[in-house]
Amino acid sequence: MKRIVKMRSLILIAAFLATLLILLPFDASAQKPIKVGVIDTYAGPPAVFANDALNGFKLALNEINKKGVLGRKIEFTTRDDKWKVDLGLSVAKELVMREEVDVIVGTINSSVTMAISDYVKGEKVPYIVWISKSEHITGSKGHRYVFSTGENTAMAGKAGGSALAKKPYVKYWIGGDDYEYGHAIADAIWRNLKAMKPNVELIGQSWWKTGEPDLVPYFTSVMGAKPDAFIVCGGGATMTNSLKACKTTGIHKKIPVFMHTATDHAVLKPLGLDAPEGVMGTMDYHFYYPETPANKAFVKAFQDAYGAPPGFPGFHGYITAHFIAEAYKKAGAVDKEKFINALEGLMIDSPAGKLEMRACDHQTVLPMYVGVTKMVPHYNHLISSDIVTLTGQDVMPSCEEIMKARGK
Amino acid sequence: MDFSAFSSQFLVGLSRAMILFVVCAGLSFVLGVLRVPNIAHGSLYMIGAFATFTVTKLIAGSVGFWIALIVAPLVVALVSLVAERALFCHLYQREHLMLLLFTFAISLILGDLVKIVWGAEYRSVSPPALLKGTISIFGASLPRYNLFLLIVGPLVAVALWLFTNKTKIGKISRAAAVDREMVGVLGINVSWVFAIAFVIGCYLAGVGGALVAPTASIIIGMDHSLIIEAFLIVTIGGLGNMWGALVGSLIFGVTQSLGVLIWPQFAIVFPYIAVVIVLLLRPQGLLKAVW
Repeated sequence: MKRIVKMRSLILIAAFLATLLILLPFDASAQKPIKVGVIDTYAGPPAVFANDALNGFKLALNEINKKGVLGRKIEFTTRDDKWKVDLGLSVAKELVMREEVDVIVGTINSSVTMAISDYVKGEKVPYIVWISKSEHITGSKGHRYVFSTGENTAMAGKAGGSALAKKPYVKYWIGGDDYEYGHAIADAIWRNLKAMKPNVELIGQSWWKTGEPDLVPYFTSVMGAKPDAFIVCGGGATMTNSLKACKTTGIHKKIPVFMHTATDHAVLKPLGLDAPEGVMGTMDYHFYYPETPANKAFVKAFQDAYGAPPGFPGFHGYITAHFIAEAYKKAGAVDKEKFINALEGLMIDSPAGKLEMRACDHQTVLPMYVGVTKMVPHYNHLISSDIVTLTGQDVMPSCEEIMKARGK
Repeated sequence: MDFSAFSSQFLVGLSRAMILFVVCAGLSFVLGVLRVPNIAHGSLYMIGAFATFTVTKLIAGSVGFWIALIVAPLVVALVSLVAERALFCHLYQREHLMLLLFTFAISLILGDLVKIVWGAEYRSVSPPALLKGTISIFGASLPRYNLFLLIVGPLVAVALWLFTNKTKIGKISRAAAVDREMVGVLGINVSWVFAIAFVIGCYLAGVGGALVAPTASIIIGMDHSLIIEAFLIVTIGGLGNMWGALVGSLIFGVTQSLGVLIWPQFAIVFPYIAVVIVLLLRPQGLLKAVW
């Protein structure tokens, strides 16, 4: 009897030890991964851009995770804000409190971004914005915990304003989506244009509800008013929709049209060869320009992985991942404050050359490309042509202006 | 405000009203005959638009659009027939709130089905070559496609009028709208009358979706924006009244378009102000309601 009990105990202890050995990780490098929470709009028209950004992010992570960062992998989890501020805020809270993410990235709706930015300031969690463009994000409402890897309305406004100042147009009409971004880009372009060419006149404005599907009545009324040029301030669905309305009404043939993002691939692609030619636009990334080896390699990898070349969100998502990886490597520890200190002033290699995360305002110094939409033989979509490059230094507000805007 | 700008705006508003009319005529018809406030009508309109996109992608060239104009509404009609026979026909005896909630649920399901089948990306359909470009009318340029809509709208109105007044099934539908019990007593299968009426109403939603496809981006969410406008139009026109749907659509489309000319920053408010005024003056609707 005693022998059987002894045997049973030995077997139990052996089984217990075996289980422990199986459960304990063998791989010494399998420490807790770096967790990134991605918040974006995966429902409706903005989903096109959100998916593009996520694809760029994933592509970069595949490369980064081969070697890992500080002996860890970078993992991410996504949440859908459905273009709503309250939902965006609640998923941000869940990511911080329940998932305990190290970094939050994402957002396309500037209103959602402002709300989340306000929240992370209190929670002291770094937040990198990759599509939203309102200049207030890193400008007047910027702070230690928010960064941007996308261009903003101040930069686009300066680029657009300086491009239009070179043209002979005097009487302008401005039309756009009636929300944060629409008004921000309109204000930015107009104040820059007016500063560079004081005799320009705003003869009228039209504001439609954001995402308005039928812009034809608005565009025909602008044609009736006969301005010298028409500035369209559309975000989300309107970016492509307004180009379609141009084609339907033929307005761009009679009145020059300018829209920030008009030359972007993600915006032009859905219209194919039916997109309007001769529309002026600005963008901070093109997959076909400049044709540097780094850009070509990035585009090829993206195309192989996802079947289509990247638009600007794909580029921003990609550089965001690299900024995160390099910042952690420089910080030497998975610590939020050290990460932020390392990210400030950090330079990384990117498909667009060396990029800097400016320390004073946490805004990535990005170039702006001014161009005109054009049909070319080897693509079944339009591209930007006659491209004029403005460097980040040319278009970004100075650190003094930013601090002044923040009231410091 | 010069005359050419005004006339161009007015004509654009009229052509928008024609699409609204085609969709609202269907909604009104279903509401009149079946007493069902079909919130899924907007989703069917959206399916019509997406189906048009698919057909134009499969059949290249201008002929693709003309074929889509026939095929897409038939696809929508089929979807609605399945929905009606499988689900709706069991609920006609229930109270209106139940039907309203049910159609709302169906609209959400159809909305997500569209996202699963077609994805969340923008879709675009170009007008056929015959209707591309603009034409000069009263000194202003009007897109040719909008001129086409100005012709199609009245044709649909005439066709619907002929159907409800000159065909047997049309007359029975009208009778069923007024007194379904009596129609049943006369030995007519009311259930099939309802099915046919429902399918025809939804077919018109599909036609509306096919017609709107070349003018606007085809996106998820176009059902929501349309259904609110459609219900308002049907209400101010007179519930179940086809001519009421026409009058309501004209008011809505034209005030929206002219509002852009008068006060572009607040243009979206004008049609709703018109709706409020109509409901204050004639809460029962401008024309006689069927019930």
